[in-house]
Amino acid sequence: MRKEHGLATRDLVDRLRYSGVGRRDFLKFCGLTAGLLGLSEAYIPRIANALEKGTKRPPVVWLNFASDTGCTESLIKATYPNAADLVLDILSVDYNETIMAAAGQQVEEILQKSLKEGNYILVIEGGIPTKHGYGMIAGKDMMDIAKEFAPKAIAILAVGSCATYGGVPAANPNPSAIKGVADVLGPAYKGKIVNLDLCPVNVEVLVAVVVNYLLFKKLPELDSFGRPKTFYGQLIHDNCERRAHFDAGRFVEKFGTEEEALGHCLYKMGCKGPMTHAPCPKIMYNDRVSWCIKAGAPCIGCGEQGWTDKFAGFYERLPGVSIPGFKGVEFTADKIGLAAGAAAAIGIAAHALGSTKRIKKGGEE
Amino acid sequence: MPKKMQLKYEWNVAYRIEHWVHVASMIVLIFTGFYIHWPFFGGGPESQIMAWMRFLHFLSMYTLLIGLVLRIYMSFNSRFDADWRDFSVIQNLKGVPEMIAYYTFLKDKHTEYRKYNPLQAFTYLSWAGIIILQALTGFALYSGDFFGLFSSQAAFGWLNRLLGGESHTRVWHFLIMWYFIITAVVHVYMSLLQTLVKRDRTFQSMFTGYKLSSATGKKR
Ligand code: SF4
Ligand code: SF4
Repeated sequence: MRKEHGLATRDLVDRLRYSGVGRRDFLKFCGLTAGLLGLSEAYIPRIANALEKGTKRPPVVWLNFASDTGCTESLIKATYPNAADLVLDILSVDYNETIMAAAGQQVEEILQKSLKEGNYILVIEGGIPTKHGYGMIAGKDMMDIAKEFAPKAIAILAVGSCATYGGVPAANPNPSAIKGVADVLGPAYKGKIVNLDLCPVNVEVLVAVVVNYLLFKKLPELDSFGRPKTFYGQLIHDNCERRAHFDAGRFVEKFGTEEEALGHCLYKMGCKGPMTHAPCPKIMYNDRVSWCIKAGAPCIGCGEQGWTDKFAGFYERLPGVSIPGFKGVEFTADKIGLAAGAAAAIGIAAHALGSTKRIKKGGEE
Repeated sequence: MPKKMQLKYEWNVAYRIEHWVHVASMIVLIFTGFYIHWPFFGGGPESQIMAWMRFLHFLSMYTLLIGLVLRIYMSFNSRFDADWRDFSVIQNLKGVPEMIAYYTFLKDKHTEYRKYNPLQAFTYLSWAGIIILQALTGFALYSGDFFGLFSSQAAFGWLNRLLGGESHTRVWHFLIMWYFIITAVVHVYMSLLQTLVKRDRTFQSMFTGYKLSSATGKKR
């Protein structure tokens, strides 16, 4: 965080002016957020008001566990209206190891102060190793840190797929037994944890959830995976800009072809859009500039539980499935079907041959 | 005509129509299903080929489902032949070893049954089961409205969660189809075989309604 701690207590509008964000931009941002939350324009002043009452806002403590900090990266790459400052200000992040300027003892003090005061929004990025010694910060197991901070949080946001259920670091064989926040904290925290899937988290979704909390003092309605229904309720495929090509049967068969240049549907290149619930086509990334499919890459389904395992190979239409009961054996559904079909055909042919005698005697009982 | 055999009206019009409606919708379902799984030919510039394939897929599944409901109704209430007793699992289990012995050439004869031998009864029963399974997995994969009434995801999304996500549901949907293809081919083969071995016009009976029957089959 470029600005020093302490600035966070200054009035938001002052701070925004300080970092070059005008009032107009600020209101535009409020309007965008209202749109995301499905609120009418009438809410824009209320959102602005909720954000401006900076001093009374709950602070955000951002903990980094097992991940590549891609979510932090996504956060500071939010460019609207002007660089990361606004988002950081809105989140009022008091502690984030990756981007804060302070270090060492000073950091520990900030953290301990937040912990003592409680009532913070706890953002957790990264999976949590559940084996002792596999992931430690300042001599403490990540799992213990999570359990220490969770009870005093007013809300816990698990951002990115690592924090929601392990994500990339939990991919098979997962030697450090990494789990998601909800799994580590247990059922007692159900309803208090919001899972913000995707790799990396979509910042606009994160900010919208926080603003929603500031506005209504409650978390959004969650689906069975603990994700906000508003954002994770629809399939990528149903909102995809290439859907018209899908319906018309126009597919990219190979990269580097004319079909690819024409932006045809990526279904046959292994696109997992038809199996993935996420807001990517609507909200996109990097200030709504682009997203995977717009950029020409098939969706790899990073918004779905266990995507690292169940969707690899990412360029295959239906990735191999392990047959229940045969651990480690993987077939593609096509091969299983064809093999069974061929076996049946051979069986029938053999049986027909064996039946010739019966057929010749036909009718004589 | 082999001796001691007489014409028997085996399938009335309702049963025959039901059978062929199922055949037609199954063929459409399998063809369009393969296309949706892997679109093996493209459409013209203005075509809506995938949209049509999906539309036909859903339409035939609705047809199949309605057909199944009618078939179940008929097995209990048909005035021509309410045959639900023939599908009794316990009764049929007893007959299975003998039928297997017959089909693997270990035995020369098998008990005659009223309409379906135990293996047949089990296969048809399993078809009713897989139509339901395919409908369930299909609705779970479908993101429109179930029967045009309420959200398919809200009603059947639990199945995706149970199986581990849409991709797994899709794999099951696909494998169940293969089960049907294989058993359907065996079904056609068996009816031809029966026709040739017994000379009883089993195969033709699904068109004409009549087959040849030797005296009385075992009545249950
Ligand atoms: S690119 Fe993917 S998500 Fe988009 S229409 Fe094609 S299959 Fe669906
Ligand atoms: S489009 Fe697919 S791969 Fe890309 S971010 Fe969204 S869910 Fe992940």
